[in-house]
Amino acid sequence: MNPLDEALGKGQSALNEYQAKQVLAGFGVPTCREALARDPEQAVAEAARIGFPVVLKAAGATLLHKTEVGGVALNLKSPAEVKEQASRLLKIPGCETLLVQEMIQGDRELVCGLTRDAQFGPCVMFGLGGVLTEVLGDTVFRVAPLTLADAAEMMGEIRGVKFLGPFRGQQPADKAALAKILVALGAIALQHEAIRAIDLNPVKIRPDGSLVAVDALISLSSTVAAKR
Amino acid sequence: MQHTKQNSLTAFFEPRSVAIIGASATPGKAGYEAIRNVQANGYAGKIYPVNPKGGEILGLPVTSSISALPAGVDLAVIILPAEATPKALRECTARGIRHAALMAGGFAEVDEAGAKLQEELMTVIRETGVRVLGPNISGHTSTPHGYTSAFFPLGKIRRGNVSVIAQTGNFATHTMRSITTGEHFGVCRVIGLGNKVDIDETEALEYLADDPETKAIVIYLESFKRPKRFLEVAREVTRRKPIVMLKSGSTEAGKQAAVAHTAAMASEDRLVDGLLRQAGIVRIWEYSHLVLALKALSMLPLPKGNRVSFLAPSGAMLVTYTDFCARLGLEVPAVGPETVARLQEISPPYIRMRNPVDIWASANVRGVEFAYREGMEAVLKDANIDAVVPVMMLTRQIGQPSFEFILDLAKKYPGKPVLVSFSGDKDCAEECKAYLEPRGVPTFLEIEQAFEALSILVRCRKAMDRPR
Repeated sequence: MNPLDEALGKGQSALNEYQAKQVLAGFGVPTCREALARDPEQAVAEAARIGFPVVLKAAGATLLHKTEVGGVALNLKSPAEVKEQASRLLKIPGCETLLVQEMIQGDRELVCGLTRDAQFGPCVMFGLGGVLTEVLGDTVFRVAPLTLADAAEMMGEIRGVKFLGPFRGQQPADKAALAKILVALGAIALQHEAIRAIDLNPVKIRPDGSLVAVDALISLSSTVAAKR
Repeated sequence: MQHTKQNSLTAFFEPRSVAIIGASATPGKAGYEAIRNVQANGYAGKIYPVNPKGGEILGLPVTSSISALPAGVDLAVIILPAEATPKALRECTARGIRHAALMAGGFAEVDEAGAKLQEELMTVIRETGVRVLGPNISGHTSTPHGYTSAFFPLGKIRRGNVSVIAQTGNFATHTMRSITTGEHFGVCRVIGLGNKVDIDETEALEYLADDPETKAIVIYLESFKRPKRFLEVAREVTRRKPIVMLKSGSTEAGKQAAVAHTAAMASEDRLVDGLLRQAGIVRIWEYSHLVLALKALSMLPLPKGNRVSFLAPSGAMLVTYTDFCARLGLEVPAVGPETVARLQEISPPYIRMRNPVDIWASANVRGVEFAYREGMEAVLKDANIDAVVPVMMLTRQIGQPSFEFILDLAKKYPGKPVLVSFSGDKDCAEECKAYLEPRGVPTFLEIEQAFEALSILVRCRKAMDRPR
């Protein structure tokens, strides 16, 4: 069963990060390498497989904003660090399992998202990501479905457009790949009515310009879920 | 019986006969002024005033009831109170009338009782297939046909090539009056939408898209009835005809709390903004810019790009308006060496000539007409320039130039918009406007407006040429 049907079947109001990325990867959205781990020992083993440094995150159906509860440990360089942080994260209320991820380099963060409006239908958002999303609100929207030209226009409309160009010795963002992500978000929503909103925040721009979604949230509509 | 949409709306704009239900013999009343307006616009079709009192109004025999009308009148204009409107509409359909414009307010926009009346209208529409504009409109206009249903005293409405869709009565009333009295351009079709019980902005747009008389479309909208369909239609139209829109109600008030950041960011206005950009519609934010957009689209070609040259008799203006242009997305580029040489030739050597053009010294030494004529031609000729704004220095003391040279230049360079503004004696500016505008060159009494109008055109051009 795919993660979406599974979550709907259980009456979940959202997909957890791991499930969300599986769905998104199926639509060609680049996501970071990651694995689930039940306990500190398994987390260490997965970290070794992925390669240090890694990121460790608390995961659970009700843990929507992990950072706010201290549920993210960045840049863990050794098995000892992973083990210590794993034990801490597992104590956070709502933490059901651990997520071990490759640590993505690059300090430019974007947000790509989707929301379903009663009148406009699914609408795709693009803008500056990470904490800047809330601070600056530098985001623009398009009504799904999007063309690649629509996506390209969105990139030109944010105030922080310079972020996408060559930046402090780093390569410009891969705009073609970014356009595909934005088009894909619209397509996902048109295909799956149960999806109410999607946040890819952040989508990181690596120093070589390539993009990768390091966090993802898919929230589901309870009414559509109930009908199934 | 189902007409095609196009045919169905055509009767609103090219009616061969019109029944005015609620005609009045009392000057000042809507049912009287509506008839006076039709007559003032030279409508060639038949007019049937309807009023139980009978008699004659403005030389026309009055029919005493709807049922006494000849069969198959093209259009009914119903100017009755809300309570009487649904019944009148049904009676009209019984006489074979397939199109109606409903003027009364007092429907769903007011209270429960009004909402019920609106339901009754919708029942008549559903059962009979009658096509309806309104209710709660102040009229619609079609100058190519010499027709208007407006009940606000308007007089003759000049014919133009830009059409208006308005979810407000203003464009059939006082805004139209400011245009007919203060400006020299005309309009093509004006469509009041009102409560949109039947015809909405999308259908109105579809009609104008195929209307050979309409070159561009200006829209005032408060709400979308079918936003997704509107987007589908508009994004194709804007590749052929510019659309400019003022969408009101753009505040963050509609923002709702939500789990996902994307949903929290998605205030209605941000979605509207996205939709309009996606559709290639040029969004404006000021009410007065509706008239500015109409004027610019009516009187000027779309420029090829955003590169403007302006001539002004003041260093302060050169600096200030260069900044203003930057804010509006207009470029004030350097002009070619030949242009610079020509500009220097017409000026005393103590002024360094370039773009923007400091025309003060030249105007003082060589005369206003010579300076502006030669300066404008130099920049109009330049391949780096898409549009020209002369800020004319006009006062009685230094002498009024003949304004003919501006017409000649506009004609000689038809692809490049020329937008004239002024500094100096107000009455000289008014005189210049009165001379130039009826001859097709727009003027702007406030200098900023010339640049704002140009920026609207530049945005229209960009939208039209946008990649697919």
